[in-house]
Amino acid sequence: MSFVSVERLQKTYSGTPVFSDIHFTITQGEFVTLLGPSGCGKSTLLRCIAGLTPVDGGKILLDGQDIVPLSPQKRDIGMVFQSYALFPNMTVEQNVAFGLRMQKVNANDSHKRTTEALQLVELNDFAKRYPHQLSGGQCQRVALARSLVTRPRLLLLDEPLSALDARIRKHLREQIRAIQRELNLTTIFVTHDQEEALTMSDRIFLMNQGRIVQSGDAQTLYAAPADAFAAGFIGNYNLLDAETASRLLQRPVSSRVAIRPETLSLSLQGEPDTVIRNHSLLGNVIRYRVEVRGVELIVDVLNRSPGDLYPDGQRVALSIDNSTLCEVA
Amino acid sequence: MSRAESTTASVYHRSVVWLLFLILLLPLLGTLVYSIASSWSATVLPSGFTLKWYSQLWGDPRFLTAFGHSLLVCVAALVLSVVLILPLLFVVHYHFPRLDALMNILILLPFAVPPVVSSVGLLQLYGSGPLRMVGTPWILIGCYFTVALPFMYRAITNNLQAINLRDLMDAAQLLGASTWQAAFLVVLPNLRKGLMVALLLSFSFLFGEFVFANILVGTQYETLQVFLNNMRNSSGHFTSALVISYFLFVLVLTWVATFLNKDKSQ
Amino acid sequence: MTRGKWLALLCLVPFAVFFIVFQIAPLVWVLIHSVQSEESGWGLDNFTRIFSSKFYLQAIQHSLEISFWSSLFGIVIALLGSYSLRRVDSRLRNFVNAFANMTSNFSGVPLAFAFIILLGFNGSITIMLKQAGIIQDFNLYSKTGLIILYTYFQIPLGVLLLYPAFDALREDWRESAALLGANSWQFWRHIGLPVLTPALLGTFVILLANALGAYATVYALTTGNFNVLPIRIAAMVSGDISLDPNMASALAVILVGLMTLVTLVHQWLLKRSYHVAR
Repeated sequence: MSFVSVERLQKTYSGTPVFSDIHFTITQGEFVTLLGPSGCGKSTLLRCIAGLTPVDGGKILLDGQDIVPLSPQKRDIGMVFQSYALFPNMTVEQNVAFGLRMQKVNANDSHKRTTEALQLVELNDFAKRYPHQLSGGQCQRVALARSLVTRPRLLLLDEPLSALDARIRKHLREQIRAIQRELNLTTIFVTHDQEEALTMSDRIFLMNQGRIVQSGDAQTLYAAPADAFAAGFIGNYNLLDAETASRLLQRPVSSRVAIRPETLSLSLQGEPDTVIRNHSLLGNVIRYRVEVRGVELIVDVLNRSPGDLYPDGQRVALSIDNSTLCEVA
Repeated sequence: MSRAESTTASVYHRSVVWLLFLILLLPLLGTLVYSIASSWSATVLPSGFTLKWYSQLWGDPRFLTAFGHSLLVCVAALVLSVVLILPLLFVVHYHFPRLDALMNILILLPFAVPPVVSSVGLLQLYGSGPLRMVGTPWILIGCYFTVALPFMYRAITNNLQAINLRDLMDAAQLLGASTWQAAFLVVLPNLRKGLMVALLLSFSFLFGEFVFANILVGTQYETLQVFLNNMRNSSGHFTSALVISYFLFVLVLTWVATFLNKDKSQ
Repeated sequence: MTRGKWLALLCLVPFAVFFIVFQIAPLVWVLIHSVQSEESGWGLDNFTRIFSSKFYLQAIQHSLEISFWSSLFGIVIALLGSYSLRRVDSRLRNFVNAFANMTSNFSGVPLAFAFIILLGFNGSITIMLKQAGIIQDFNLYSKTGLIILYTYFQIPLGVLLLYPAFDALREDWRESAALLGANSWQFWRHIGLPVLTPALLGTFVILLANALGAYATVYALTTGNFNVLPIRIAAMVSGDISLDPNMASALAVILVGLMTLVTLVHQWLLKRSYHVAR
C-alpha cells in the first residue's frame, strides 16, 4: 500500500524542463533517498513535494490525498534544510515549539511535546540558548526536533548534512536513521553523497538530468548498476566498452561492462600477465592501478597484512569473477 | 506556495512599487507641468502650454549669475575636498589604521550637527574680525567641504578597502617605486571609480544646499537655491521652470559622469 | 616614529585646520555660549527662559511632533515599498531605485514649491479632492501639511536605508515557517519583523534626526513663519529683529540634545533585544 505516490510530475523553469515525467511510490515508514549529481533535479523534486515550488503538471498523493493544490502550511509535511533555517530571534525551545504554536496547541501540551522532541535529539540542556550560540551539528538537531514535534505524515531532508564536518555527519546519520525507525516516519532524504545514501536508505532513487535512472535497495544499486551513468556515479567501477572488455575477458562481449574493483583479486600464483602501475593507500583498502593485456583497471584489495602490498612494477596474476560482472547499457 | 498565491503576491508587489513611483513622481510632475503651462490657477489642469518661462529664465542675468555662483562654489568645495581628503585617507589607511575608528566618529559630526546649529557659531566667529568670511563665497566653500566630507570619506574608504591598499603599495615598492610614485601611479588610478561616485553624490547634494547659503551669505553671493527662494513672489511658472532646469542639469551631469566612468574602464 | 610617519602626519594638518575652522570651532562656540547670557554671564539662564516660555516650548513640541509623525509614516511607507521593491523583477526594481535616488535631490526649497503647486490653497490635488468631496479645505501651511511634506522627503531616505536590511531575512526561514503552519502574517509577526527590528529602529532614529534638523523645506514653505526649533534658531541669528546668539546657542544645544537623546534611546533598545549573529 503506497503512502506517497508521485505521478507524471512535471516542472519547467524558464522554458527548460527540470523534470518531465516523474513516477514513484513509497510505502509507509520507508526511508527513501534521492541521489544524484548537482543539477539533476532532486532538490527541486523535494521542494515540489513540500509545496515550496509549484509544479506544472502531475499529482502527488499523500495517504491517498492529492496535495498539489494545497499550500505548504496545510500539507502536514516536515522539512529539514541544508542551512538549518532556525529562527534567530527565538531560543531553541521557542524554535521547536513554533509549529505547535501555529497549530494552537495549549501551553502544557506544547511544553511536554517540546521537551520530548529535544530529548529525542539529546539537546534538553540547550533549550534556552539562541541559534547563534550553537554549533552546526547542534543547529541541525534542533531543526530536526522542530520538524518532528508536529508529528508530520512525511519528513523531507534536503542535504541536511552537507554543511557539517565528517565526524558530526557520521554521528548524525545514525541518529536520524534511529529516530526515523523509532517513529516509523516516512522519509525522503536528498543527497549527492553516495555513502550517505547507501548507509541510510531502505531504497534509493538515482536521478540524472531530471529522470529517475534506477531505483532499488542499496545492494542492487551498488552491485547492479542499470547504465553507464549509474556505474560511473556509484562506487569506483571499471567501466569498459565492448571492445576493451572482449580483449580483457578473451571472449566476445556485446555491450559495455562494469567491474567492481573489489571483485578483482591479485596473487603471485598463476600467470603473471598483470603489471602494477601504481597504488594508493586508502586506509583499510589499497587501491592499485594495473595494466593487463593493454587494459587499465582499478583493483581494490583489503589491507590485511604487509603481504598485500605489492611494489610498483611487480608482475602479478589477476583473477576475475565472472558472476560479478555487470553488463550495462 | 501554490500558483494562485504567487501570482497574487506578485501583483501586490508590482502595485506597491508603482504606487511608490507615483508618489515620488507627483511633485516633480506637478512642477514640470507648471513650468510649461501658460496659466494654471484654481483648476485641476492648466489652460495652455508654452515654453516662454524657460526662455525668460535663461535670459535672466540674475539667474545666470546665481547659477554661476552655485557652480563655482560647489566645484571649488569639491576641489578643496579632494585635495584635503585624499592625502588624509591615504595617510590614515597606510600609516595610522587605528585612526580610522576616530575618523568614522568625526565624519558623523556634519550629520549629527544640523547646519542651522553650525550657522550660529559660524556667524559669530567669522562675521567680523580677522577671519571675516561671512557674506563671501569663502565661508561657503569651507562649509561645503564639511558637508561633502562624510560622502567622500566613506565612498573612498570602501574603495581603498576593496583594492587592499597595503598589498598594492608593498608590491609597488618591492618593484622599486617610492611611496609617492606608488601612491600616484598605482593607488590613485584605482580610486577613480570610488572618487567619481563620491564627487557626483556630493555635487548633487551641494548644489541643492540652502541652509548655509541663505544664513551665511544670502544675497551677497546669491546661489541658485537662494535665488529660487527669493523669487517666490514672482510667477510660480517662473520658479517651476527654474526648478526643472536645475533638476535637469543635475540629471544630465549624473548621466554624463556615469557614462564617462563606465567608458574608460572598458 | 620614523621620519616618514612625521611627514605623513604633516599631511593631515591642512585637513585638520579646515575641519576645525568650519566644523569644530562653531560647535564649540555654540556649546560655550549656550550657557552665557548678556544679563547674567555664565549660567543656565537661557535654558530657564526657554523652558518657561510657551513660545519656545511650542517650538520644541512642534519639532518633536512633526519629526515623529513624518518619521513614522515615512518608515512604514519605506518598509512596504522596499520590501515590494525587492520582490519585483530587476528591470522595474532598478528603474524605481534610480528614480528614488534622483528624487532625493528634490528636497528643500524646490520640494516646498512643488507641494504648493499640488497641495496649496489653489493646488491641483487640493482642488481635485475638494471636487470629489473628500475634504472641505486643506491648509498646507499647518502642522498637518508639514507632516505630509516631511513624510515625503523621508521616503527616499527610508527606502535607501531599509532596502539592504532585507538581506538579513533568509528565504529558508519563510519556507520553514510555512511548512510549520505559519501564514504570511504569522511569519512577519513572529520572525520577519523581530529580525528586522534593529534595522527598523536604526532607520527610524536617522529619520527623526533628519526631520529635527530640517530647515530649508519649512523655511521655504512658510517663509520662516512656522514655529519649529530650526526656524527659531535661525531667526535669532539672522532675522530682522532681536538678535540673541546666546539664546540661539541654547536652543541649538537643545536641538542637538534631542537628537542625541533619540540616538541613546536607540542604543539602549538595541542592547535589550537579542543579538543576531550573522
